[in-house]
Amino acid sequence: MSSTEITPSVKPAFTFEAENFRKIQPKEFVRKFLAQNIRPDGRVFRQFRKTTINLGQIKTAEGSAVVRIGSTTVVCGIKAEVAEPKTNSSTDGYLVPNVELSPICSPKVKPGPPNELAQVMSENLNKLLKSAAVLSLDDLCIEEGKAVWVLYADVVCINYDGNVFDASVIAMLAALSNVRLPQVEYQDGIVMATETRPIKLKLSRLPFSTTFAFFDGLYLLADPNETEESIIEDVITIACDETGQLCNIWKTGGSSCSQEQIKYNLGFGFLHGIPLIGSLGV
Amino acid sequence: MDRRRIPGPETSVAPIIKRAEADEVPETAAVNNLGKRHDGRNLEDIRPIYLRTGLITQANGSAYIELRETKIACAVYGPRQTKVPAFSGKGSLNCDLTFASFSCAKRRTNYRDPQAKEFSQLLFEALAPSIRLDLLPKATIDVYVSVLQNDGTASCLAAAITCASMALTDAGIEMLDQVAACSASYINGEIFIDANFFEEQRESASIVMAYMPSLNEVTHLLQLGEVDVGLTTQAIQQCTDVCSKIYSVISMVNGIALGGKGIEGLNKVFSGTINKLVFLKHVKEKNRN
Repeated sequence: MSSTEITPSVKPAFTFEAENFRKIQPKEFVRKFLAQNIRPDGRVFRQFRKTTINLGQIKTAEGSAVVRIGSTTVVCGIKAEVAEPKTNSSTDGYLVPNVELSPICSPKVKPGPPNELAQVMSENLNKLLKSAAVLSLDDLCIEEGKAVWVLYADVVCINYDGNVFDASVIAMLAALSNVRLPQVEYQDGIVMATETRPIKLKLSRLPFSTTFAFFDGLYLLADPNETEESIIEDVITIACDETGQLCNIWKTGGSSCSQEQIKYNLGFGFLHGIPLIGSLGV
Repeated sequence: MDRRRIPGPETSVAPIIKRAEADEVPETAAVNNLGKRHDGRNLEDIRPIYLRTGLITQANGSAYIELRETKIACAVYGPRQTKVPAFSGKGSLNCDLTFASFSCAKRRTNYRDPQAKEFSQLLFEALAPSIRLDLLPKATIDVYVSVLQNDGTASCLAAAITCASMALTDAGIEMLDQVAACSASYINGEIFIDANFFEEQRESASIVMAYMPSLNEVTHLLQLGEVDVGLTTQAIQQCTDVCSKIYSVISMVNGIALGGKGIEGLNKVFSGTINKLVFLKHVKEKNRN
């Protein structure tokens, strides 16, 4: 925290302890910090939280990854099954992503079918994977017109401390890089697989996303945590790949943001994401 | 067709694993000729336990347990206001157990299948007697368990009960005692404590027991399959002993988590094997908002 203090020109009628003030006026609480160029958790505006990736923890899955961004924890597990391909694309396999906000992750999530936030994240993740063409779907073909691989990629959020989407994207990429498929052969309608799993997937692009919360039309806060997310409606998510090419941009919320602001912060997101993607060793 | 999720193909099946002839596993491979199980344990040994609380910062209390390849996370939210409109002098306990779709050898569906519903009910039956619900009128305690990897269904249930009890302690909810649970399989007339998936496929019956060691009371006992009564009595006795051992592990983790006396290093030898007990000295600040 900076050592200078704000001296108000008018003496306030009430004084609150910080904790009570945070509960009664959460936005004002955050504004006081931002005016001093710092965020309530001690980060500067463009600072990301520490990200860790663990591969291959779930042995029952064909590929898995556990990603932590600060306290936000997501687990991605990929199970491979076999299905008939669609009639109009007889060599294309399936990649079915799904983001589950488990009721353990947050007091706001109830058990049952996926809520709106989970559905939106699943759909955005699906769009990102399809538009970036991360995986060439005919690599998943076993027998043309008869059998293809289906990769069910489920991302389960275990702890919701903001920015689950970025974590899900990294987890998905990491799990895809970790997938090991058995060798298969197709005989008379049955697919036989070996016990060993030597086959890796070929990923043609490695997209990653960075999320910024846009507060008061002035401040772009990178990698918002849960306290920041709960008071800020405007969020910008930018997805680019490992070569710096833009994949997708999502901007939700009502306020407007200039191109310069976005470009200025995009560079930091890119610099942050590149070593993460590089560490996957693809 | 589930409209809330990205649709996949209508049906899909797992490929059939073709075993090489040399790898053919004989039926009676549960115990080798030295009396050891296929992973090197004795019949009465449980797998090493890794137990840690406080990982889920959003929850009032949480715990994470690992028994080699079984990985379970549990979060407790509560006591919070009950949704039930009728007044109740006692608090209510709501347990919800879900298997992640990638947690078992065969892929599970995303929505709650009958087995998950059954386990949720069993979890409730095992935990409810140990919680002082009479001190929490008009309140609900929500216990959510997520199984991330399942290596042996009966032992998964036992681990979930232990994990949930730890999470309740971490949440600071008043209880009569903690619940430790363990499972056993009957294979060829012998009792195998804490069987994993490989051994479960060869079992004829199984038993799961949840036990409060300080009070010497069983909260829940479930046996599936046909067993001789004498063997059942012996199994219950063995499970009681194992639960007491699990309880000493839990107590140590509690001692660390609640900022009590620190334990220097690993010093517990458990059933003849040294466990991977990783203790973290952290003083958890109880922030009940």
